[in-house]
Amino acid sequence: MIWLSLRTQRTETLIAAALVALVAAALTPSGLHMLSVYHHDGLAGCAGSASAGGCDDLVHSFTNQFESLRNALGWLTLAPGLIGVLLAAPTILELEHETHRLAWTQSITRRRWVTSKLATAAATAAVAAVALIVFLTWWHGPLDRLQGRLDAGSFDSEGTVAVGYTLFALGLGLAIGAVWRRVTPALVVAFAAYVALRVFVDTWLRQRFAAPLAATWSMRQSGPDLHRARVLTEYPSNRFGQHILLKHAGDACLRKLGGVVAAPADGHCKLARLAQYTHAVYQPASRFWLFQGIETAMFGGAALVLIAFAAWWIHERTS
Amino acid sequence: MTVLAAGGLGKRYGARWALQDCTLELEAGTVTALVGPNGAGKTTLLQLAAGLRRPTTGTVRVLGHDPLREAGAVLPNVGFVAQDHPLYRGFTVEETLRLGRKLNPHWDDGLAHDRVARLGLSPRQKVGRLSGGQQAQVALTLALAKRPQLLLLDEPVASLDPLARREFLQSVMEAVADTGMTVVLSSHIVADLERVCDHLVILSQARVQLAGPIDALVGAHRLLTGPRSDPAAVARVHDVVSESHTPRQTTLLVRANGHVYDALWELHEVHLEEIVLAYLGRTEVPA
Repeated sequence: MIWLSLRTQRTETLIAAALVALVAAALTPSGLHMLSVYHHDGLAGCAGSASAGGCDDLVHSFTNQFESLRNALGWLTLAPGLIGVLLAAPTILELEHETHRLAWTQSITRRRWVTSKLATAAATAAVAAVALIVFLTWWHGPLDRLQGRLDAGSFDSEGTVAVGYTLFALGLGLAIGAVWRRVTPALVVAFAAYVALRVFVDTWLRQRFAAPLAATWSMRQSGPDLHRARVLTEYPSNRFGQHILLKHAGDACLRKLGGVVAAPADGHCKLARLAQYTHAVYQPASRFWLFQGIETAMFGGAALVLIAFAAWWIHERTS
Repeated sequence: MTVLAAGGLGKRYGARWALQDCTLELEAGTVTALVGPNGAGKTTLLQLAAGLRRPTTGTVRVLGHDPLREAGAVLPNVGFVAQDHPLYRGFTVEETLRLGRKLNPHWDDGLAHDRVARLGLSPRQKVGRLSGGQQAQVALTLALAKRPQLLLLDEPVASLDPLARREFLQSVMEAVADTGMTVVLSSHIVADLERVCDHLVILSQARVQLAGPIDALVGAHRLLTGPRSDPAAVARVHDVVSESHTPRQTTLLVRANGHVYDALWELHEVHLEEIVLAYLGRTEVPA
């Protein structure tokens, strides 16, 4: 039966493999280039600790050079969803073309057929996702060491979440397809729903997995290490962390002096002192694995429920 | 031995009964034609027998087992060719046979390859490129190489041209002659079935209208013609299946209980096709 499962999803497996290979082939040159610049410019020394002398400029120029490339690769976040719905296709195609009746009237039980089909699809999807993760983690390496992995571009394609995304898209495709039995509309709807949910999690939900940290520090001190954190907001403030908009501060100062701009020597409008602090709200870099765990469990759990539903529906409600 | 037994079998889809109160017994070695218009419940009955659907009421037993709950005991002994003989269109002929070999314990690989060779098919041909008749033959090969005791064929020739139709039915007859297997074959084309089948089940409006050996059924029915009259007197003794009237003449098709002795009527033999049409034309359900 495993032979049949693999054979019926051969085309989809090849497409998924080609997709992964294409990404790897397209990005390997830039990955190698980035790595060589990283080592050549001695950025490794800047990665761990807070900015040593000259590091800020180096890091700045390096990230300027490569960040746009990474951002241009934002569409890669769609890859797990594509692979997932792609591998849902073989099972839905069987229901659409009614070849499941051919399989179910051989000597194997329906349960075995369903289990084998879905397990093979899930395993293939997971392997493709892991391959993507391994490659993109390598590619992001230098940027990650400087900027951390909590920004969407890295977070989505590293760690374990992409396996969850892929299985979730697979489950969504299978569940909708099992009921609908039309491969094209089912997979289009599944993919659209997948994208919508991902956008929601990326832009709204993820930063709420754990309350962000807040810090206010004087301009003269070095604040928390934000290089590799995900900074939600950062602004000049007073020492209570209240946002100082410099323009308003100026107005307040003007009002206070009755519309006459005082010479600094008058000394009562301490405009400069008002904003001598920085306030930041952020998720620290150390929360990467916590967030990965939460999000993987979320998508992976939903994937399990959806795949189980599809299996039940095909087993019980299909003939 | 009873190969297929249905008792009070019924299947409802939503509010509509596709099959109702079906009680049947098919003996080993019989070749049964399941006849009825589209939507009469033929496919439903065959799918219930193959364990593809769950009955709403009643029971169906194949070789003494429940085809759904005891699929492991039933499936290896049942060959099934679904309507429009679905096959994996991307598979080659060889891969299709490989599928049969992998999924069936009693698979007869020699028989499968012999049949494919006799059909003139190359093992490397893609199934999707074959003609409709060839695809039907490949589907039949898959069913026959299981060495089934019961072969279920759902409208196997409906989509075929007359030549392919004859060749397909010829293949079925050869297989029956070789193995003595029990066959149930559904169709709405009566002429094809008469040469192949020895038993008949007429399904109409989700119910069994008539069932039995074809010889006995043909022998029991008579066509009566006579001057225009009310058939009530005949109906008291015999079952009037259909009646038609012209201004001067009345024609009755009856299922005779014993001999028909009545000087009023002229008796004729009837053909199977007339019997089938008469039963399919009836709108009321027999008592």
